[in-house]
Amino acid sequence: MSVLGTLYVAVFTAVALMALIPVAALVLGSLRDAAPGLTGRWTLANWANLASPGVVETLLTTIEVAGLTTAFAMVIGTALALVIHRTDFRWPTAMTAMLGLSFYFPSFILAMAWIVIGSPGGLINDVLRDVLGIESVSVDIYGVTGIIFVMVLHQVPFVYLTMRGPIMGMDPSYEEASRTAGASPLAMLRRVTLPMLSYALASSALLCLVMALEQFGIPVLIGVPGRVTVLATQIYLLCRFPPTAYGLAAAIGLTLAAITGVAILLQRRLARGGRAVVTTGKAGRITPIPLGAWRWPVNLLCGLYVAMALVLPSLILLYTSLIKFFTANPFDAAFTLRNYIYVWESEATQRAILNTLIVSGGGALVGVLLGAACSYFTVRLRPTGYRVLDMLVMLPFGVPGIVLGLGLLWAYAYLPVPLYGTLTLIVLAYVTRFLPYATETAGARFVQLDRSLEEAAWTAGASRQSGVWRIVLPLSLPSLQSGYFLLFMAFFREISATILIFTASTSVLSVSIWSSFEQANWGLASALSILAMVLMLAVMSLLLWAMPGARTR
Amino acid sequence: MGITVRNLVKSYGSATVINAISFDVAEGEFVTLLGPSGCGKTTTLRCIAGLDTPNGGAIAINGRVVSDAGSGVFVPPHQRDLGMVFQSYAIWPHLTVAQNVAFPLMVKGERDTGPAVAWALGVVGMTQLADRRPSELSGGQQQRVALARAIAGRPQVLLFDEPLSNLDARLRDRTRLEISRIQRELKVPALYVTHDQTEALSMSDRVIVMEAGTVVQEGRPRDLYHQPVNRFVADFIGSANFLDVRRVGRQWQLADGTPIQVDPVSDAGGTRPQVALLRPESIRLDGDTAPEQDAALNRLTGRVLGRMYLGPHIEYVVEVAGAQIRAFSRRDMPTGSPATLTFAAHDCRLVDDGAAPAPRTGHAG
Repeated sequence: MSVLGTLYVAVFTAVALMALIPVAALVLGSLRDAAPGLTGRWTLANWANLASPGVVETLLTTIEVAGLTTAFAMVIGTALALVIHRTDFRWPTAMTAMLGLSFYFPSFILAMAWIVIGSPGGLINDVLRDVLGIESVSVDIYGVTGIIFVMVLHQVPFVYLTMRGPIMGMDPSYEEASRTAGASPLAMLRRVTLPMLSYALASSALLCLVMALEQFGIPVLIGVPGRVTVLATQIYLLCRFPPTAYGLAAAIGLTLAAITGVAILLQRRLARGGRAVVTTGKAGRITPIPLGAWRWPVNLLCGLYVAMALVLPSLILLYTSLIKFFTANPFDAAFTLRNYIYVWESEATQRAILNTLIVSGGGALVGVLLGAACSYFTVRLRPTGYRVLDMLVMLPFGVPGIVLGLGLLWAYAYLPVPLYGTLTLIVLAYVTRFLPYATETAGARFVQLDRSLEEAAWTAGASRQSGVWRIVLPLSLPSLQSGYFLLFMAFFREISATILIFTASTSVLSVSIWSSFEQANWGLASALSILAMVLMLAVMSLLLWAMPGARTR
Repeated sequence: MGITVRNLVKSYGSATVINAISFDVAEGEFVTLLGPSGCGKTTTLRCIAGLDTPNGGAIAINGRVVSDAGSGVFVPPHQRDLGMVFQSYAIWPHLTVAQNVAFPLMVKGERDTGPAVAWALGVVGMTQLADRRPSELSGGQQQRVALARAIAGRPQVLLFDEPLSNLDARLRDRTRLEISRIQRELKVPALYVTHDQTEALSMSDRVIVMEAGTVVQEGRPRDLYHQPVNRFVADFIGSANFLDVRRVGRQWQLADGTPIQVDPVSDAGGTRPQVALLRPESIRLDGDTAPEQDAALNRLTGRVLGRMYLGPHIEYVVEVAGAQIRAFSRRDMPTGSPATLTFAAHDCRLVDDGAAPAPRTGHAG
């Protein structure tokens, strides 16, 4: 067998195992009446319990939260994209950069910051009570509204990033034609621009919905104290707090995965159909719509978003990390460096940081190489079964992180493979979950690469392997770098897939932050968050400096 | 020696793209596959290069069987010792000009690629641009790099896939001459695919006209032009007028009954429907005050329907006996004015009218 043939079999097997083992384990687990690793009996009770009032109520809450989050995030994100790329808005570059930064702002850190700001003992209530002397009004972030609010803040950059490509890539002649036909800017927006973007909007909304459905960090931090449960957090609660019910958790996980899976399938179909509609590849220069009287409201909206999603949370965390006891008045506060000193001295924290760097740095490399191989097979070589490979790669994408974690927990409690409690298992979880990031970036490049570039290598005497090595890989390097960057950032922030499978020795930074916060140690959690974000910014700049290809995102 | 193709078949699903064609390219010969898009010419070339796998038939290069569907032989492209020029040039953007040209030598494991690269770049006149990046080159320069790369490894055959279609007209003329010169210098068999009749006529020793996956006619350029086997070939090569004619006794008549003399050589007396081919350049076009009669010449009268000023001459469309005939003249005649067409009998050739070509296989080269 040729080198590439052998590689294909290896990649296919690896991806199949990675995708199918957790799902199979979940199915089996949902039919057992005991925790993973314990002897139990076969049962259908877990599936029957899905109809219990508790689970149904959670499902309804989940749909409410995800639906409203998507609606708000779509409106705000699309509006921002239109403002930045279609009007004479003054600071498009700065705003894009801010949205990019907030895209990488970890959701659970955002949630923590907003708890510090909006919880009953938090900043806003302190200011209301102590500074302004108002007793009658108070805010409480712990609730459905609070969850939706923070989730919208978190999702807006995603909507912006997915909508900006279609908006910028739209052939300007369509819009220009509507203007010459007599449409005002607003009429053009309503009758031409938005309808032409409908595929992109629907596709972005579906992905946004999936992300909101599987969001774990925000609902667990805000929802649990407020007694608001969504499916993702219920899975966690069922596994972590007695009386545990792993089987029910597995059944709920499969249900959630089915919902998100259908949404992903729909999205893929839409994306495929929409590709033919708008994209002409001609990124045209278009006359910007003058904002006129709207300029200041729009500026205010942008400023408010940046403040709430980025600046205020960062400042609050910095402040909280530097004081002994929480108070809203900095002049009352006792400043201290003890949280940072603790981080400096704590061996567990150092190990978590090291683990995070190993898992993100090394895991992203594994992910991008595996993803590139998969894409080469599915896009270029197309050997027998390549469609199955493509499906296997996408399958875990529809599985929420917490569900994937649960699947791995079930699987490696039974399988005679010593993976539980190793960093390899964490890497495995992350690569499985985020492999589509790598296959999509690499695949997009392979599709673009003119076939004749590779064929010219063959007719010039290069074997297939040699053609891949000398022509395809060098020409795809920018995309591979950008895929590495995406994976690194995703791995660095990830918590939902980790939370059920980490052990003391394999804890990562995100878990450390989260558990300090759970123990009500706001100061330490904030210090760790600041540290994580500084580290992330440093790595980000380092990667962008070292890999020019990652810049073109 | 050269390239031998026998009963080549290629189909995608139920669609047959190449339908059992056979031809040869002799040692040092320049052969062109000519046909409209979708006729299977590029697929044929790709089968010879090993980029597509044939479903039937055999291909040999210099006596070595590289593909034989019957016995399951398939030599991958990199072992066929080819030089190929692609329509898109396929110059690798991450390598310099010299590195592009050195590639065929490098993958063969040759250490000292310098002299061969210098030679190849010299042949195409690109020596001074060796260290440039492809993005810094014009289309014509990229084309020449592609050519240099194709010849650098001294391949056994040269394959060209519409290499000039992305160049502007002026550059195309120059590069045609260039490619012909290089191929004759190297004395390697070359197979050239194009839909451009000018390229086919001007460069080739022999032209193979393809339609719908079959060979319609093959021969020297002048033979194809003057003795096309049917309406398709006549129409595809050069510009052509077709007159509907019918035999009445021993005579031929136009649709309106006007008698017309045709080339007796072409009048084989077959039963197939035939039309008369009349090239515009063999028609003399005058006003109604035409010169004296000559019994050996056909003389038809009509009316000017339209005119296009082209510089050297004016192209007229004249309505004659219900047909529209294109002809050239340097005289200025207004639309609607009477016109006289004069042409010799031997310039009016009968050709098969059949739209579907008669499949022809098994030609020896």
